[in-house]
Amino acid sequence: MTDYPVQLESVTKRYGAFTAVNDLSFQVAQGEIYGFLGPNGAGKTTTLRMMLDIVQPSAGRISVLGSSSAISVRRRIGYLPEERGLYRKMKAADSIAYFAQLRGLSARDAKRRAYALLKEFGLEKFARAKNEALSKGMAQKVQLLATIAHEPELLILDEPFSGLDPINQQTLEKLIADQRDSGRTIIFSTHVMQHAERLCDRFLIIAGGTKRFEGTLSEARAGYGRRLHVRSSAPASAFEALAGVIAVRLERNGGPESEYDIEIADGADPQDILRQAVAAGIVLTRFEQAGATLHDIFVALAGDETAESPPARMAEAAE
Amino acid sequence: MKQVFLIAWREYKQYVFSRGFLIFLLMFPVSLVALTAAMGLVERNRPVRAFVVYDQTGQYADDVDREIERRYMFSALHAWNAYVSSAVEGDADALPEPFGPGSVNDGRLKAFRAAGGFDAARETVAPFLREGAPAFAMPRRQFERIEAAEIVGGVASVEEAERVLRPFLLEQRQVESGEGSKPLFAAVLIPHGFSAEGGPAAQYWSRNLTDTALQDLVGDALTSALKREAIAEMGLSEAALDDVAAISAPFDSYRPDREAEEAQLSLKDRIETTLPAALTYMLLVIIFGVGNLLLTNTIEERSNKIVEILLSSVTAGQLMMGKLIGIAAVGLTMPAIFLFGGLAASLTVASTGDNFIGVAIEALFGSPLLLIYLFYFFCAYAIFAMIFLAIGAVSNSLQDAQSYMGPVMILVFAPLPFMIMVFQNPNGFIASLLTWIPIYTPYAVMMRAAADPPLWEILGATALMLVFAALLARFMGRIFRNAILQSSPPKAREVWRLAKKDAA
Repeated sequence: MTDYPVQLESVTKRYGAFTAVNDLSFQVAQGEIYGFLGPNGAGKTTTLRMMLDIVQPSAGRISVLGSSSAISVRRRIGYLPEERGLYRKMKAADSIAYFAQLRGLSARDAKRRAYALLKEFGLEKFARAKNEALSKGMAQKVQLLATIAHEPELLILDEPFSGLDPINQQTLEKLIADQRDSGRTIIFSTHVMQHAERLCDRFLIIAGGTKRFEGTLSEARAGYGRRLHVRSSAPASAFEALAGVIAVRLERNGGPESEYDIEIADGADPQDILRQAVAAGIVLTRFEQAGATLHDIFVALAGDETAESPPARMAEAAE
Repeated sequence: MKQVFLIAWREYKQYVFSRGFLIFLLMFPVSLVALTAAMGLVERNRPVRAFVVYDQTGQYADDVDREIERRYMFSALHAWNAYVSSAVEGDADALPEPFGPGSVNDGRLKAFRAAGGFDAARETVAPFLREGAPAFAMPRRQFERIEAAEIVGGVASVEEAERVLRPFLLEQRQVESGEGSKPLFAAVLIPHGFSAEGGPAAQYWSRNLTDTALQDLVGDALTSALKREAIAEMGLSEAALDDVAAISAPFDSYRPDREAEEAQLSLKDRIETTLPAALTYMLLVIIFGVGNLLLTNTIEERSNKIVEILLSSVTAGQLMMGKLIGIAAVGLTMPAIFLFGGLAASLTVASTGDNFIGVAIEALFGSPLLLIYLFYFFCAYAIFAMIFLAIGAVSNSLQDAQSYMGPVMILVFAPLPFMIMVFQNPNGFIASLLTWIPIYTPYAVMMRAAADPPLWEILGATALMLVFAALLARFMGRIFRNAILQSSPPKAREVWRLAKKDAA
């Protein structure tokens, strides 16, 4: 189990009668951005904590950076938990340096790195400010910088975009991409599909503690219904009558024309549907073929589990 | 190990280098000086209590005056003792009798007066004073008797006198005293027929019900006067009566566990027996103080969600150990600073020949007391810190912690009422009982440290306490490790289950 920076084999985590993660296996390759997608309570955080050896699996094997326990290689890992905080009375630079030191940097290097990162991310003016004086966005940046200050090989980011404004989300996306470009392996969990779609080389969808999909976006799309985006003055019922059409959804109804999202059957030929529409006298001002979005795939795979499964933390508490 | 010390250092820095701690350190000596100065100021500005004695018998006002003077001279002798102890170069005990420090009683007062009183005392000690020593100042008087006739005139009855005096006692009218006009503090009314034989009682009138010094003084004066009357009736002269009143039994204390020449109880013995009690009290206060620090900062890490970042860098055991070491160091810093600050100050004072300070230093540093204190500090700390740490780990807020803190507070402070019994009887049943209860062993052993308790008892109880501390650390450590990452705090009934689980 040493070929991949992260490898899980049949990992299960039970809290009493509740199974938070069930028989989960996957590998993360060197230098890739690996998305860990799932609805709330799907078992994402529990899996990440097991990878870090913060909680122990009930069954299965985990290998992180060639070690069976992340504890022995924790200096090579950067972890940003979903629920994160800082010591309120500590200064921003000291916070970054403290966590970098805990992960193995010398006091001098940690301090130097903290100031360099704060400068790079436009926070040098706040280096001596106490964390309690920082805005929420700035505090989150400080937390992120504390995660990467010791220059880890493997970054594990749990819901890194939550709570960030669009500008900071963009900054973070760039930072993650930069980290990947410099050879680091990145795993991040999210339930916001746009980030995953833009960033991930591969992703895993988990729901109810069970793996639902693992692969690239194009692999996912291949398995899910193709769609047509059309604009026309004809009613939805006119499209529903065409052979090969499964469902028609009104996307926009503005003025004389409406926009429709049409799901077509596996094997159906979009050109044939276009011919049928013309033959039926339907006037089209737009006809566009599109693959399934990650959002569609996610909803199709995990939609039945959203909000129904008890989050692991509730099980933890009951345990 | 480096991580453990990093965590410990951060915990230590957070408190010790905080503005609050530094202000406290600065404030403590400043407030001590301010307190001493304030007490001196209060003493200097204490109002002289004006009172009257309306005495229908015409016999007892002088007795009250005599008792006032006697007590004033006693307070002057106390002040003199303190003065020569600090102002004389070298050993104050070497001063010519009766001007060296000594007991305060009628015999000494008589000898003092016979030797010329305070004027002669000042002249006698002048050559022995260290350079720059201030002159001795007599203390302020507390009471001034106003002639009753000036207020009540020639009233014929106690009832009438009381009616006339009432507005003065109620501060509606003022009397003329040596310090100007002021309200009357008290009035003593002695009716015709007042005697030891069951006549009417003397009356003490005052609005101030809390300061009973004058009431006690008048009571003693009248009792003494009645006794003198009774003894005079047996045929003794006034001079003989004075001699009898001045008798004060020479009385020394000895320890049976010492040889004859060393058996007499000394100041050092008294300090050595009192010091453990002071150190025990300090131990209790510090354990409670640092326990609270542990509790609040664990709750902060838990509720601020810092703990998960920490646990991705260190194990729960390392985190726990780092916190314990850091906060223990905070707990030792304060007494260490005061101890060494006090030592430095004491050495300065001791170099001037102050007997008490020198003996206190010798008692503290010349005996194993400090080592015993350190050992039992760590034992008590280990026991209570683990409890506070576990409570912090199962609480998201101080409010959550309150439900656990109630019983813990009772546990921490339960021995307090019994400590006085241990102090008075350090090898009695209560002392033994507390010694064998592991959570109280450190306090009980500290209290008994100077009383030579049976060695087997101390060793046995200490061994039991160490086993208990190890078991407690195991259980509380499990609670800490299992609960620290739970998003919602476990319910009280689930805590026992967490204590039994080995890992999350």
